[in-house]
Amino acid sequence: MNPSLAALALFALAGALFMVPLLPAIVELRLKRDAQPLNVIQQHAGEIRHFANGFRKIAVELQGPLHDCVATGTTALGKLPNGDEYLVLGHPGDDSWMRGGKMLSICRAVVVAGTDVALPDGMTFVKEIYAAGELTGGKGNSYRAVLGEKDVLLRRASKVTRWAHATGAFRAEHDCDLYGRASSDREIDLNAGCIFQRLNAPRISFGDLAGAAEEAVSASSDAAAAPLPVGRTLYDEDLDIPAGAVIPGNVVTRGKLRIGAGARVLGSAKSDKAMTVDAGARVDGSLISASRMHIGRNCRVGGPVVAEHGIIIDSGTRCGGPRTSTTVSAPTIVIEEGAQVFGTLWARDEGRVVPRA
Amino acid sequence: MIYCLFAIVALISIYTGRHYGFTLNRLFGFQRHPYIDIDTAEWPQVTVLVAAHNEEKVITNILAALMAVNYPPERMLVVPVNDRSTDRTREIIDKFSAEHPGRIHAFHRQGGKGGKAAALKDAMELVETEVILIFDADYIPGRGLIKQLVAPFFDPEVGGVMGRVVPLNVGTNLLTRLLDLERSGGYQVDQQARMNLRLVPQHGGTVAGVRLSALREIGGWNDNSLTEDTDLTFRLLLAGWKTVYQNRSECYEEVPETWSVRIKQIMRWAKGHNQALVAYAFHLLFGKHRATLRERIDGVLLLGVYAMAPLTLIGWFLTLALFYEGVAPLHGVIALLAFTAYAATGNFAAFFEIAAAARLDYTRQRICLLPFLVLGFGVSIFSVSRAVVSQLMAPLTGAQFHWDKTERFRAAP
Repeated sequence: MNPSLAALALFALAGALFMVPLLPAIVELRLKRDAQPLNVIQQHAGEIRHFANGFRKIAVELQGPLHDCVATGTTALGKLPNGDEYLVLGHPGDDSWMRGGKMLSICRAVVVAGTDVALPDGMTFVKEIYAAGELTGGKGNSYRAVLGEKDVLLRRASKVTRWAHATGAFRAEHDCDLYGRASSDREIDLNAGCIFQRLNAPRISFGDLAGAAEEAVSASSDAAAAPLPVGRTLYDEDLDIPAGAVIPGNVVTRGKLRIGAGARVLGSAKSDKAMTVDAGARVDGSLISASRMHIGRNCRVGGPVVAEHGIIIDSGTRCGGPRTSTTVSAPTIVIEEGAQVFGTLWARDEGRVVPRA
Repeated sequence: MIYCLFAIVALISIYTGRHYGFTLNRLFGFQRHPYIDIDTAEWPQVTVLVAAHNEEKVITNILAALMAVNYPPERMLVVPVNDRSTDRTREIIDKFSAEHPGRIHAFHRQGGKGGKAAALKDAMELVETEVILIFDADYIPGRGLIKQLVAPFFDPEVGGVMGRVVPLNVGTNLLTRLLDLERSGGYQVDQQARMNLRLVPQHGGTVAGVRLSALREIGGWNDNSLTEDTDLTFRLLLAGWKTVYQNRSECYEEVPETWSVRIKQIMRWAKGHNQALVAYAFHLLFGKHRATLRERIDGVLLLGVYAMAPLTLIGWFLTLALFYEGVAPLHGVIALLAFTAYAATGNFAAFFEIAAAARLDYTRQRICLLPFLVLGFGVSIFSVSRAVVSQLMAPLTGAQFHWDKTERFRAAP
């Protein structure tokens, strides 16, 4: 073989081998198959009612058949533009759930009720439910999503897999599982045994408030949601705030923090390790722990409560107030009946309501 | 010479190990996002500073975006800091101020020292709130971003907050696509890993916030720094304040579209970072202050990232020199240098970090561009080295403080 040709061939082969790993890069550069900016959430901003508001638009589109059914006391079936079947209830008696003389156990249609509606026990609703009036669920029901324009009551051992929203009060009896989002424009009340993830309402209460009630409902006893206090006192070790002490500003400790019974922190408190708040303590600002947090009975916290690993809140404790909404957030939250949160309660992994000890 | 080479290889290996550690942490470790779920609160008063020097192409977008955020309008004051602009920036800002009375208070700076830090320092006369947010004018904040950036300040230990920067003009050319990948690696992996491991997330000076009392405690903005953000990070750290990174607080930015602009940008970053290295590294490592041991070590490594580029070049030079000197056997060291160099030089995020970031971002095809990162790496290593040399020569040449503004590419409205 001609030596020049051989050298050229070798050069070409080496060049080709060099280009092989670059081929996908060159193809992507030319075709721009993935050249869009990352999809950064710009509009709905994680708003808890986002899905409820979206579904309400669908329900509004069905107002025509809904009015007809309510006026005539009938039910109607149809299909939404996306192909989903819908069931409009103008007079939701038990017969609405009968097919061929048998009671349905699974409803695969989007349900739109024009009046108050009471659902039978033991049913699974694969699609969303909308109620223009009050909605009362059945025991042991399973829902994908629920939107009620008035009060919503979930009976014992119900389950919501995506979201639920009530314009009025939202109540869940014992042992309900609320995965995803649950919100109300007025109040949420969950009973012992309920599991939750993200809750939002002006007032979220848990079970019987007796004993904690009188003071809890008084706006005048709100821990003040003050402007952010300035500066902080920093401790490098564990800190024990004595019972009844008053701390005038922000406190930060790199160790554990205990706020003694009846003590008051006029600012915020932060600990890098576990935090314990004893009964009757009061913190005007926020409570932050990079570990776990236990808030004892009848405490008052004005600002956000955040623990990176978990929070236990005992009965009688109140976070936020009727005029000062706040957020309680941790991967796991265990909250006793008798506690109250005004605003958002967000357990990334699982929140659980437990009976008063 | 051989001991110098050993030292360089050892340093580069430390950085490589650090990058591997960060990547593994992001893929398999516990992820910290402690404040991102605070969505209901009595939101404090906040001042949003928008640094603007000849920003007629972009200032409209950010002001419009800020007027549309979901933060209570009566608790948020936007202060566009118009720093000696000679284009239509002032006119546009004044028009917005007139359209949104009480929500925008323009600060028009006519003279004074150049640079963003000097402009922000002067604008502080308008700031009365405990929480200050800072944006460069080419950023476009989303609707919920202000709340997300304010939320960490409910933690009384937090002095600074940094959000994630996401390039908007990704598809323009090869450079923008490479910068998109670099940003992914730098934020999605590097910054978040430092947050997870309680190290030193870096304040970026934009999509960022600072607590007024912390800023006052550390002496305010340092207008002698070319990178006021790095300077701020370390002064906060030394004073015991935490800077936290919020990976889910994302904000669009415009990245440079030409190599010349990119080179200027990275040279300024390198010079500013090295200023901070000289000013704070020794004290951070050995001084008496409130930083933890892990923060001291990571802080010094963070300060040293831009020093690694010239060291890598010197390492390559030494291997060649030693080879021709007949010093052998060096193949192991050379192999290590070759293997680690690309994975270790600071800002030009390691390829495996970028690959991990692409996976975490659920992107698919853009990862194909990884081989082209060699190009960005080459440009960066020489640009940074050039910046270091010019810094070292400055006392001899008498070079003065000079701040290069990054050119914008968006079409003016």
